[in-house]
Amino acid sequence: MHEFLAQLINGISLGGIYALIALGYTMVYGIIGLINFAHGDVYTLGSFFALTILTALGVSGELHGVALVVDVAIALIGAALLCGIAGVLIERLAYRRLRNAPRLAPLITAIGVSFILENVMQIWKGPSPVPFPAVVPNPSVMIAGVAVGAQQMLVVGLAVVMMVALQLFIHNTRLGRAMRATAQDRDAAQLMGININKTIMLTFLIGSALAGVAGFVSGVYYQSTWFFNGFGAGLKAFTAAVLGGIGNIGGAMLGGFLIGIIESFATWKFGGQWSNVTVFAILILVLVFRPSGLLGEAVFDRA
Amino acid sequence: MRISAAVAIIALSACSGANNASTAKNTTTTTTTAVTAAPSPAPAGRVVKIGIDLPLSGGDASVGISTEQGALLAIAQMQKSVPRGYTLQGEALDDSVQGVHNPEQGVSNVRSFISDSAVLAVVGPYNSNVARAEIPVTNAAGMAQIGPSVVADNLTIGPDAQQLRRANPSLNTFFRVCTTDSRQGSALAQFARSLGFKHAYIIDDNETYGLDLADRFEKDFTADGGTVLARDHLAKNTQDFKSLLLKVLAAKPDIVFFGGVTSTGGGLIRKQMFSVGLGKTAYMGGDGLADLATVAAAQADGSYYTLAAPDATRLPSAQAFVKAYRAKYNSDIGPYSANAYAAAQVAADAIIRAIGKSGAVPSRAAVVARVASTKLDTPIGPISFDKYGDVTNPVLSLYGFKNGQPYFIRQIQLKL
Repeated sequence: MHEFLAQLINGISLGGIYALIALGYTMVYGIIGLINFAHGDVYTLGSFFALTILTALGVSGELHGVALVVDVAIALIGAALLCGIAGVLIERLAYRRLRNAPRLAPLITAIGVSFILENVMQIWKGPSPVPFPAVVPNPSVMIAGVAVGAQQMLVVGLAVVMMVALQLFIHNTRLGRAMRATAQDRDAAQLMGININKTIMLTFLIGSALAGVAGFVSGVYYQSTWFFNGFGAGLKAFTAAVLGGIGNIGGAMLGGFLIGIIESFATWKFGGQWSNVTVFAILILVLVFRPSGLLGEAVFDRA
Repeated sequence: MRISAAVAIIALSACSGANNASTAKNTTTTTTTAVTAAPSPAPAGRVVKIGIDLPLSGGDASVGISTEQGALLAIAQMQKSVPRGYTLQGEALDDSVQGVHNPEQGVSNVRSFISDSAVLAVVGPYNSNVARAEIPVTNAAGMAQIGPSVVADNLTIGPDAQQLRRANPSLNTFFRVCTTDSRQGSALAQFARSLGFKHAYIIDDNETYGLDLADRFEKDFTADGGTVLARDHLAKNTQDFKSLLLKVLAAKPDIVFFGGVTSTGGGLIRKQMFSVGLGKTAYMGGDGLADLATVAAAQADGSYYTLAAPDATRLPSAQAFVKAYRAKYNSDIGPYSANAYAAAQVAADAIIRAIGKSGAVPSRAAVVARVASTKLDTPIGPISFDKYGDVTNPVLSLYGFKNGQPYFIRQIQLKL
């Protein structure tokens, strides 16, 4: 029982990171039907930005009190903002001209952007994993005999807050309504006077900023980052988005947490080498019986 | 939506496929660095080359580059012994794809060496799984290949090694100047027992090197009275080992043994041991953990590793090499720089002896025969090979970490 809980909590924390990345995949897919393969690398970019900001602030170890709140806020918001800008630039430079091209063209472009980002990051911070300062202290609370660390709560808390904020934004603001309209029918939305380019830019801004948040959080949680992390994490997060129902925000969240938990339990019960096999086997099973994912609705067919 | 999901899956596989192809191309065109070892800018007379295949980018670059530099230094220094009218060159190719050593890329590098008639021997690769892919190719071409650091047992001995030599079963073209995994595993098991460790949890990265090392450690540790609590293998492409480590924590080992290298998880495992409460448990592995501190920094303390080589900085025979390396590259030698120097020295020496008095460009077969009969003093001691291509006097060194820095513990000369 004790180990079950420990694994569950570990899985939820891991899932929180996947969920944050999955939100970006699902938003971009929802609005322009593009699987943005560069998104996983934007996540790594987030941890690199956060690391650079923390280094510039002179932070190299644990922080406390006011310094903790201020420096973490600067690093978090800074990483989110810079990733948001990176996302907008990627959309502007690599995807916008291909918006009406055959679907494979932007997909391949996305893979290309992913390589460019990976290689730029490799030149930037070097080929080896880079240590990330343990900024956030990690006191733990005992829940049913299992220690839950502050860092784990931070990961899960941020993921949930971000998702709730995103839902509120999409359903309660004019810009959110514009995004939903664009997702439903781009041409009709344009005829109704919605600025499509701005709306899509906004989607990339928010999605990439969330990846930036995930990047910061992963740095804090693992105290390490690597230019190549985004490849594995992006693949899992993309799987999470598909599992939950791609295009559906609640689905991305659910998928993220599920994949984290499955991965954790599979490692525990079947051994580490079976964790990916289990995750993808479950994905296939779900898609066979629910092709649109757990929460996906077959409202319209994009392809 | 049904179709979208299908597109997604296709995209997924397209991604990994495109992935390899494009970087592979990229690495060969951009990182091919032919280094002229001759003092004069224009190579004079006939050029003979030693191909060098190592991981020079990505996670392995931290050790790959210092290994390459060792080999290039040997080639530069051997230049003066090359017969008149000849220029000796080293040509290095990178076998990393997307940051990780890649067997297919290694094979493609070796093929390009084979197609260049000036290349008479190959030094490399760094990783055993790359060597497994390359040996059949060099064997079929009759090209001498000398590994500085590849330590998997089945590259030289046993039915697996015979299988690698299937094209030319009677000809052994592969040699190595390091010792083997099983010898490292044995040394580590003995050492762990001598430190009083009883209960080991073994993790490996499911690659040739890691599996061999962990197998041997498991066998010898048990034979020596220790208990192996459990054995686990890692998944690729993940940065989260906490679920695995929670399992390790529940088993209560006094030592965690890792078969693998820092870049396949060895570094992150050590770091994450601290976050699940295993920070005080000892951690041990083979030469793959030599660069552990680049990832784990001070958390590397309490870890141990071996090098399948003597410690060059401590050997009287290596002092000239250590000094020359520092003078040329303005940095200290890497874990396998001295081995790579020795490997390139063996290759160059064989080529020089094959040219001999006749002065004609030797055949690759002649070079292979000269490598097999090597008797050479190198920075890591005198080198000669047995009929399988293994060194006849294996020496290993044990290291620990203090304040994030490796320190030498002792040297072991294994009896054969």
